[in-house]
Amino acid sequence: MTPATLNDYVLISAVLFAIGFFGVLLRRNTLVIFMSLELMLVASTLALVAFSRFNGTMDGNVFVFFILTVAAAEVAVGLAIIVALFRKRHTVQVDELNTLKN
Amino acid sequence: MNLEVVKLAAADNQWGAIFPELMLACIALALLALEIVLPKKLHAYIPDFALSGLVGTLAGLLFNFRSAALGHDTFNGLLHHSEAGQVMRAFFLLVAILVCVLARVSLAKQKMPRIEFYHLVLIVTGAMMLLAQSNHFVMLFVALETVTIGFYILVSYFRTSTASLEAGLKYLVMGALSSGLLLFGIVLLYGVAGNPDLPAHTASAMNFKALAQFLAANPHHFLASAGIVLVLAGVAFKIGAFPFQIWVPDVYQGAPTPVTAFLAVGSKAAGFAVLLILARDVFAAYAWLVTPVLIAMAAATIIFGNLAALTQHNVKRLIGLSGVSHAGFLLLGVVAAATVPMAQGAIYFYLFAYLIASFAVFGVMTHVAGANDSDQDLDHYAGLAKESPFLAAVLAIGLGSLAGIPPLAGFMGKLFIFISAFQGGARWLLALAAAGVVISIYYYFGWIKAAFFEQWMPPADTADPRPARTPVSFVSGLTLGSLALASVLLGFYQGPLGQWLTMK
Repeated sequence: MTPATLNDYVLISAVLFAIGFFGVLLRRNTLVIFMSLELMLVASTLALVAFSRFNGTMDGNVFVFFILTVAAAEVAVGLAIIVALFRKRHTVQVDELNTLKN
Repeated sequence: MNLEVVKLAAADNQWGAIFPELMLACIALALLALEIVLPKKLHAYIPDFALSGLVGTLAGLLFNFRSAALGHDTFNGLLHHSEAGQVMRAFFLLVAILVCVLARVSLAKQKMPRIEFYHLVLIVTGAMMLLAQSNHFVMLFVALETVTIGFYILVSYFRTSTASLEAGLKYLVMGALSSGLLLFGIVLLYGVAGNPDLPAHTASAMNFKALAQFLAANPHHFLASAGIVLVLAGVAFKIGAFPFQIWVPDVYQGAPTPVTAFLAVGSKAAGFAVLLILARDVFAAYAWLVTPVLIAMAAATIIFGNLAALTQHNVKRLIGLSGVSHAGFLLLGVVAAATVPMAQGAIYFYLFAYLIASFAVFGVMTHVAGANDSDQDLDHYAGLAKESPFLAAVLAIGLGSLAGIPPLAGFMGKLFIFISAFQGGARWLLALAAAGVVISIYYYFGWIKAAFFEQWMPPADTADPRPARTPVSFVSGLTLGSLALASVLLGFYQGPLGQWLTMK
């Protein structure tokens, strides 16, 4: 078996990113949307590490730590909002969260 | 580990250069500490402390405007200090001061913890100030995310209101989506610029200067173009440009009014500060791609923002969608900024005029709104001129300035932008923008008409559906009065601000 090349890594991360992106646009459950958002960040992280490894530059590896921290903060705030909303409305379906309308 | 390298790197950390941001962080932490330490009856003074801290920081910044760091990179190239950066710093501090003044009016109507609100406003302001001076994609991403995550909490701050929580969730999903796009764009640019097989490849590919040199040497690389488009899309979300404006009306309606003002002015200005740095300097070699994208975005944004605002009855949605069209006018300036040096100054002047006029209008909105913050209808303004002539006058001046009626400041802002766009040669876009201005005058005057010319007919059988007007306190009256006055004065005399702008 040949070792994975840079192209393989970039391809996988692009596919992961696309899954996350269309997941956000198409899915109707808030929690699934949230997972898709995280998938987009993970895709970027994978590509960063691969580029860093194959280009021989260190910046990418360091950037990953910042992304992890940001993602953690985002999850903390996001889940708090979802829980608060669920207590009020007893649903996490996007279609039923329609208080704001013309 | 080579200790000398670490020492050299540490010597580049000039903490004095980011003194205002450090001040804000310290004040923000002090607020939380004061809440624990002080007895309950003194808690009412903590917002005053936040406000005076902000005013002090702004005074210090203006006093030390020509700081020694100007024109230099600090923190190993993470930050670049420029005059434009100093102007944006002052801008964000001014926004934060006004948000705090509005919050005192608005939060008084809710049973909510107060102190955390001011804490978040200070943190977000500090992050915006760093964002406007960033010179490195790591700095840009971290500062932008600090701003965005702070806004998630602020938008859903009225957590007993379903509207506020839903707005928070919508902003969260849209904001995180745009951050994902931005991040993937950064990663692609980093990967391409570090490729050892390409000319002018660089080890520090996320530094703006190194990246600009790489892009200049490879002006038609496919992956780099894809990265640039993704980065622009991520920034377009923040400024609410078409087709990334879908979140604007809902989030603006659900968010507490001071936060709506913060989003409309602060967040948008931060987006434009970043966009100017990126489009003018970093992506300069890719103007063949960036300029058409920005032109298409500006045209669509102006058309959509104005047409969608025509049918709105909720004033928060109305001002949100009119803000979208203002983003379109500013994009027109960004397009011109690639070739016309004056355009950058025109954008800053427009932002200041927009700040003054918007906060005058938002200030009136906080006084007219009741306990249900998301329900602010045009009908609630009927008879305002009779009941509170002061508020009605401020509203008329603010809306007139937003619409661009001469001789108010908003007119001069639009004039500067249009002149630079004319010099830049985007003639048909200019015609479109002029048509947009005409449409905007229609809906702004619908609002003024509601306040001045409509008599309020109380329904016979039910209670008055209009919320009671909040009496104007001394501080908010002074603020609103000076904002209205500034809108008029800045239209006649641009002063040192105008001088600095036209020198560019």
